[in-house]
Amino acid sequence: MSAERWAAVAVSSEGRRTLSDRSALVVSLCFYAMVSTILATLWRTAAAGHGGEVAGYTGRELTWYIAMSEACTVTLNIRMIELIGQDIASGGIAVELLRPAPVLWLRALGELGRALPRMVACALLGGALSWLTAGPPPHAGTWLLALPAMLLGVSVNLMAQHAFAAIAFWIRDARSTWFLYQKLVFMVGGMLLPLQILPHALRTVAFGLPFMAMAYVPARLASGHFEPALLLVQAGWLVVMAAAANAVWNLGQRRLQVVGG
Amino acid sequence: MRTLRSVLATLRAAVAEARANPGSFWTQVVTMAVNDLAWVAFWVIVFRKVGTIRGWDRDRILLLFAVLTTDAGFVLGVLANTKRIPEMVRDGELDAALTLPTPTLPHLLVRRVDAVNIGDCVFGVVLFLTLGHPTVGRTLVYVFGSLTGAAVMAGFLVAIGSLALFTGRGEPGELGLHAIILLSSYPVDIFVGATKILLYTAVPAAFVSAVPARLIDHVDGGQAASMAGMAVALPLVGWTVFTLGLRRYTSSSLWTRA
Repeated sequence: MSAERWAAVAVSSEGRRTLSDRSALVVSLCFYAMVSTILATLWRTAAAGHGGEVAGYTGRELTWYIAMSEACTVTLNIRMIELIGQDIASGGIAVELLRPAPVLWLRALGELGRALPRMVACALLGGALSWLTAGPPPHAGTWLLALPAMLLGVSVNLMAQHAFAAIAFWIRDARSTWFLYQKLVFMVGGMLLPLQILPHALRTVAFGLPFMAMAYVPARLASGHFEPALLLVQAGWLVVMAAAANAVWNLGQRRLQVVGG
Repeated sequence: MRTLRSVLATLRAAVAEARANPGSFWTQVVTMAVNDLAWVAFWVIVFRKVGTIRGWDRDRILLLFAVLTTDAGFVLGVLANTKRIPEMVRDGELDAALTLPTPTLPHLLVRRVDAVNIGDCVFGVVLFLTLGHPTVGRTLVYVFGSLTGAAVMAGFLVAIGSLALFTGRGEPGELGLHAIILLSSYPVDIFVGATKILLYTAVPAAFVSAVPARLIDHVDGGQAASMAGMAVALPLVGWTVFTLGLRRYTSSSLWTRA
């Protein structure tokens, strides 16, 4: 089977698996609805008590911002780093090395396939909830730009998580590291709050890190800011993260030692 | 008395098991503390920007977070199985526990200790002692609020998780866990109407963090009594739902560890 065929199979089979597990999909959508509603309510309340806006965002813009930033994050398995680490530490990944295709790419494409149905569902649900609670999108055109940005953001996050999880090739027990990674996405990635709210020094750092491509960029576009150049920034980070993940996995696989069968 | 002895012995064994790999144990404790610091940073940044939100300021939200990390850390760390009841029902993990001459629910709850959430609990205590303006009176109310909040949360998680014994499905338990943690992480007064009523009733998140945080700042007999009442009522509800559900439990024919 060619590499392209393996890729197509990885994406489509995992996508079908997500769709067939209805209850898991419903749980993740309910979780998304809860977390985005609570956070959007917090920011709308803050804006209302602060002259109608916070850091240049109105209550409506903040609602659409949070709907998108949460959708980008909830779409992926939050514990992916832990699960990859377990597969590496247990040696389970050795079986995947037997396939005539690179392990990293098959895993990443499989995760992307798994994420796609959730991505569509979260975008629709988030759009409906935001419309109901705060009104229509601040700018329909930028909301449409936010959709490819969402796909790019999830892809950057996916590659970065694989690069990060590969630490398990060296330290074996990487279970807790996903907490730290997620906090970086939450804060300097702009998932919990627009980066403009951060103090100046932290904001400068955040704009120079790949995490901003994962949540901030799609959310910034969804909140009505016409900044198409942000898509190029995301594409750049995707190339960098994919290259980093590839390099780390190539190095790590040479260190893999599996005992027993 | 015999039940208490067996519960304590089981708890000691669970702690020893969690600490069997000291490196991993402390890594997880420290990681969770760092994770909690990120939340503190979030709230500090938010309130630096907006001042107050419906009467909540930075100091009070940090108090809320100290209570939440303490009581939720205790429940999810020391009584780690409160969040795993649906999974245990599905995997037949109750089988072995049912053969023991001890009450099933207390045994199950203390059977597993989760180091990650112990980190939360430690962080909560340190946060209160450093930024909670501790005095003797405030500390006593903090201890009271944390214990009663823990009882409310444990009771709710057992009740909602035990629904798996009736329905065979784990989704209500999973959603209940997400809901109570999420809703208790934010100031209750940002919600209005039906949502706010929900937080004091069906998903009693207000009693896990917001009510105890308010009590520490301003002791109120009525609120303290309602806190104590919920701390008795919720565990009773949890016990009842679990006990009734257990009658419908059917073994998975898998042999598991007691």
